[in-house]
Amino acid sequence: MADQERVQQAVYRAVDELNKQLPKGISVNKSPDAVLYGKTGKLESIDVVTLIMEVEDQIKAEFGTSITIADDRAMSRENSPFLTVGTLTDYVAELLN
Amino acid sequence: MIEFILDVWKSNPGGDAVVWRDRVYDYGTLLRLFEAWKARLPELGAKPGRVVVLDADFSPNAVALFFALIDQRCILVPLSTTTSRDKRAQFIRIAAGEIAISIDASDEVTAEPAGAGDERPLYDTLRERQHPGLVLFSSGSTGESKAAVHDFVPLLEKFKVRRKTLRAISFLLYDHIGGVNTMLYTLANGGCLVTVERRDPDSVLAAVTAHRVELLPTSPTFLNLMLLSEAYKRHDLSSLRIITYGTEPMPEHTLKRLHALLPEIALQQTYGLSELGILQSKSREPDSLWVKVGGQGFETRVVDGVLHVKARSSMLGYLNAPSPFTDDGWFNTNDVVEVDGEYVRILGRQSDIINVGGEKVYPAEVESVIQELDEIAEATVYGEKNAITGNIVCADVTAVSRLDDSSQKELIALVKRHCREKLQKFKVPVRVNVVSEQQHTERFKKSRR
Repeated sequence: MADQERVQQAVYRAVDELNKQLPKGISVNKSPDAVLYGKTGKLESIDVVTLIMEVEDQIKAEFGTSITIADDRAMSRENSPFLTVGTLTDYVAELLN
Repeated sequence: MIEFILDVWKSNPGGDAVVWRDRVYDYGTLLRLFEAWKARLPELGAKPGRVVVLDADFSPNAVALFFALIDQRCILVPLSTTTSRDKRAQFIRIAAGEIAISIDASDEVTAEPAGAGDERPLYDTLRERQHPGLVLFSSGSTGESKAAVHDFVPLLEKFKVRRKTLRAISFLLYDHIGGVNTMLYTLANGGCLVTVERRDPDSVLAAVTAHRVELLPTSPTFLNLMLLSEAYKRHDLSSLRIITYGTEPMPEHTLKRLHALLPEIALQQTYGLSELGILQSKSREPDSLWVKVGGQGFETRVVDGVLHVKARSSMLGYLNAPSPFTDDGWFNTNDVVEVDGEYVRILGRQSDIINVGGEKVYPAEVESVIQELDEIAEATVYGEKNAITGNIVCADVTAVSRLDDSSQKELIALVKRHCREKLQKFKVPVRVNVVSEQQHTERFKKSRR
């Protein structure tokens, strides 16, 4: 059972990494409600891809497990895992279990 | 068939023809070796129209044999000594080789039957014409290598016009259209073919100094490594007049740096394909990637941004694939180009283009930007499937020095930051890996996945 808190911290570290790479004036908050790729999101698809890579790296470092977040399974879910930081965290935790 | 070449040799018996293992062999010697092979070929079974596999490097004996086989109207299948055992068996099967002649490192000759000589309709065309043939294998990064069958007569045609006599390095091997071209050019014009055993920058440049080489045909990868190793500082390059580069896209950064460091040397892009032969080309400026390609016997056109060529020296076809030519003889090179009047700029192979969310990324452009960094020795950019954007851009980079884990992380961040400053967002590598192994083949061509 992956610790939800450890997953969340790993995702937040990935958010930090992403923010370093975003243009000035754009950043993602470290909060479950922060929008990633939704109606009000400011990120472009390539930014979401970058964040996902960073999350995969952080999960690997934290848990020693390689996961693939963006695949057909994720894309075909009724509720997109990429809407907010919170939905992404939940999805990653689900993958780890 | 090759009388015009032999006439050049006969007129200059004392002139340097081939340098092999640092020994110089003159045209008189080459002629004697040629005559000896000519007399010996029939007893080896190498009669006109027979398929002869030739395993050798550029020793004088091997060069003489190459010309003797043309003269004998055989169908030549040159393999290089670096061809692996498995590949060799595969190539002989595809080419339906009948006789295999090998010349090893000590110039020892062995000739043995290679196979039954299965039917190949393209060979019948050559036999009916009573022309010698040449079979070249494409590098075939994916799947089985394609075997291109050439009629040697149109390939030889362009060498009938006398051009500059040059001392040239044989950088590419003679199982490659570029290697065959350099050999034919040099020896048809009374020049000297300087062979090298190793193809790293220091060995090649040492040969340039030792043998007063004027023409250095290379690859962009080689030139990049030559700059990085600073090998050009350690050797006297005063004899060198022309450096040519081809076989893969040239990073603009490498070209500009090279020109700034060696302004006296003409930098010339070459363009050719196993299927077509080598086109004549002229770079707009020494430090420009814009090039005019064509020349006598070649027509070019650009269709939907892709270069098509119609050549008198085109191959007859593939042995193991359908004919790639249109009904009226055009060949799709799959090279995507930009056009400016008579000039084109090669952006990359269509198959190497990375489609990121509908936007096109040319690996060569991203590689050139990464290589601007002093910390980077080599960079290879490629695409990886991704569920969100279709593909993502990835880069494997080699650092100039060994790095520990934390410096690797810093390097990755540096590469990404530099790319973000210089490139549109979708071109920036999402994943950067620091790798320690070299990223080029023995032939100094970038290894693409």
